[in-house]
Amino acid sequence: MILALSGTGVSDGIALGRLHKLSERELDLPEYHVEGEEIEREVRRLEAASETCEAMLGRMEAGLPEEAKGPAAELLQVHRLMLRDDTLIGESVRRVRTEGINAEWALDRQAASMRAALERSEDAYLALRSEDLDQIVQLLQRELAQTGAGSLAERIPAGLEGTVVAARSLSPADVAVLHQRRVAGVVTEHGGSWSHSAILARAYGIPTVMAVRRALRVLREGEWVILDSHYGAVLATEDDGLHGHYGEKFRQLARRQARNSRALSVPDRTLDGQRFRLFGNAERGPELARCVEQGAAGIGLMRTEFLFTDATLPDEETQYRALREAQAVLDGRPLTVRTLDAGGDKLPEALARFDGPNPALGLRGIRLSLALPELFDLQLRAILRASGHGPVRILLPMLTRLDELERARERISECAEALREEGVAVDPDVQVGGMIETPAAAWATERFAARLDFVSIGTNDLVQYVLAVDRQDERVSHLFDPSCRAVIELIRHVVRGAAVHQRPVQICGEMAGDSRMVPVLVGLGVREFSMPPGRLAEIKAVLIRLDAAEVRRAVEAFLDVPGSDSVDALCDQLIRSRG
Amino acid sequence: MTRRTIRLVNRLGLHARAASRLVQVAAGFESAVWLERDGRRVNAKSIMGVLMLAAPVGSELVLECDGPDEEEATRAVEALVDDRFGEAE
Repeated sequence: MILALSGTGVSDGIALGRLHKLSERELDLPEYHVEGEEIEREVRRLEAASETCEAMLGRMEAGLPEEAKGPAAELLQVHRLMLRDDTLIGESVRRVRTEGINAEWALDRQAASMRAALERSEDAYLALRSEDLDQIVQLLQRELAQTGAGSLAERIPAGLEGTVVAARSLSPADVAVLHQRRVAGVVTEHGGSWSHSAILARAYGIPTVMAVRRALRVLREGEWVILDSHYGAVLATEDDGLHGHYGEKFRQLARRQARNSRALSVPDRTLDGQRFRLFGNAERGPELARCVEQGAAGIGLMRTEFLFTDATLPDEETQYRALREAQAVLDGRPLTVRTLDAGGDKLPEALARFDGPNPALGLRGIRLSLALPELFDLQLRAILRASGHGPVRILLPMLTRLDELERARERISECAEALREEGVAVDPDVQVGGMIETPAAAWATERFAARLDFVSIGTNDLVQYVLAVDRQDERVSHLFDPSCRAVIELIRHVVRGAAVHQRPVQICGEMAGDSRMVPVLVGLGVREFSMPPGRLAEIKAVLIRLDAAEVRRAVEAFLDVPGSDSVDALCDQLIRSRG
Repeated sequence: MTRRTIRLVNRLGLHARAASRLVQVAAGFESAVWLERDGRRVNAKSIMGVLMLAAPVGSELVLECDGPDEEEATRAVEALVDDRFGEAE
């Protein structure tokens, strides 16, 4: 018998072990008045609690694994500063003294007033801080509730090594303790990839599945569970076959992860010292965070269609806020925003009236934006406003004619001008790039590159248009072949055209995350790749073992000989030579 | 007491990491250090206070230091801001 539960995998890996449930006890906040000597005793309790908690976070920071220090360490540093904070601790102490109330109550009141101030602001940064504040206050309250008893240690007992731990929710501190206890995996009912405990779980490499509803009620204490966070799955079973399968998978994954995580700490250079840059494709918090954690230099493709899925179109403010949230996660890394690429197979409900007889060849991408200038302006304004806060690049989809690019550039400068007149800060050097995904644009790359800051090859659409194959159509989908010689030669043409004007070329379609194709692309001269976060480590592991000069010679030699329709044999050859 | 107008020139404004650097610098001085923006005044030694300013890039803040080492404190905070909080550009 198998019992399968599903949730969100937030930290990749597989765990096999006996289940242990953490007891959940709601904190009961005592509230009472104090006077005389009791007042100073409450002050000392509060101060001692904050010192204990800070020391604990300090030990956790020191204990973070070296390769995971970045984001997790910064998170813990901000939390430590909060534990010394005058607005939080100092004001709570003053409340104890002036209002004559106990430590827990004073802290609760002070936190409530700060939360109210934070929530009045609509800035995306602050929305995150409210979560930080709650976690810090909870940590302090737990410490106060059992001063001296080591509150965390009691909740999380010893002897958990190798178990899969289930809990309603976990704080980052809990996760750090679970790491010390060497648990095999973690399941929680609440939380998601973007919660801070998820960030810590990833930093420690604990396989974790969150948002598994009713996990505590359904799973039994002590039963065997298999946790596969890649699929967000929790399986409770005694089936030997399944255990054997997962046991093997577990060993394979461990070997691959060891190889990939070693790659992450190495500089972005090929074996012969050529620099490359890896970017992520992502639009929302969790994937953006994963890109950063997986070493992406920035976001190479942020699609914006997800903002347009409702019945009503998003206003400027909604779009702006989504971009600011992304910037908050990226912390200074460049964000490449592709303007609305509606049409084709992805027309949002609010724009359904623009559907046509053949969507792939209809009013889509930049054509739709230029046909609806008010809509386009709203999006450009949101992007330009965000550029005042961090590096932003604009990416225009589905170009076929140079005049489309000129008209788009005109809209961009007019929107920037209007914003400046309104007194809004706009980055004067916002880079504008174009998607090369139609044969027309690919053929004319040199002319486009003269008027663009960078070009980005969307291989999925390019392959579809070059080969005239719709991959959704089962009868012809086997002809959808990215390794087709015509496609590869066209990419070579694009790279050469961009090189005339020294413009960087990025690949952002599926080909960028395909470890068979990436060596060929390097041989063609591509040095920038943008892919989903889950592909970053593996592609990097491929690139750092590649000799770019040697690969270039092999690709040229192969393409010099006419003959095969596909570069498949070349892919095999390059993989073999790598060993 | 010293009062100085400073302008945030780093790419991100006062985000969490920049704020935590600023608080650490300010806390090294005996003088009281205050920041003011749009009529809101906060203690620059408090991370929650600084974060609550929500100051984006390009914003102007009034920096006020008061105490025995007010000159040094002013210079240190100004240097940090001019150095863009040590962010890689």
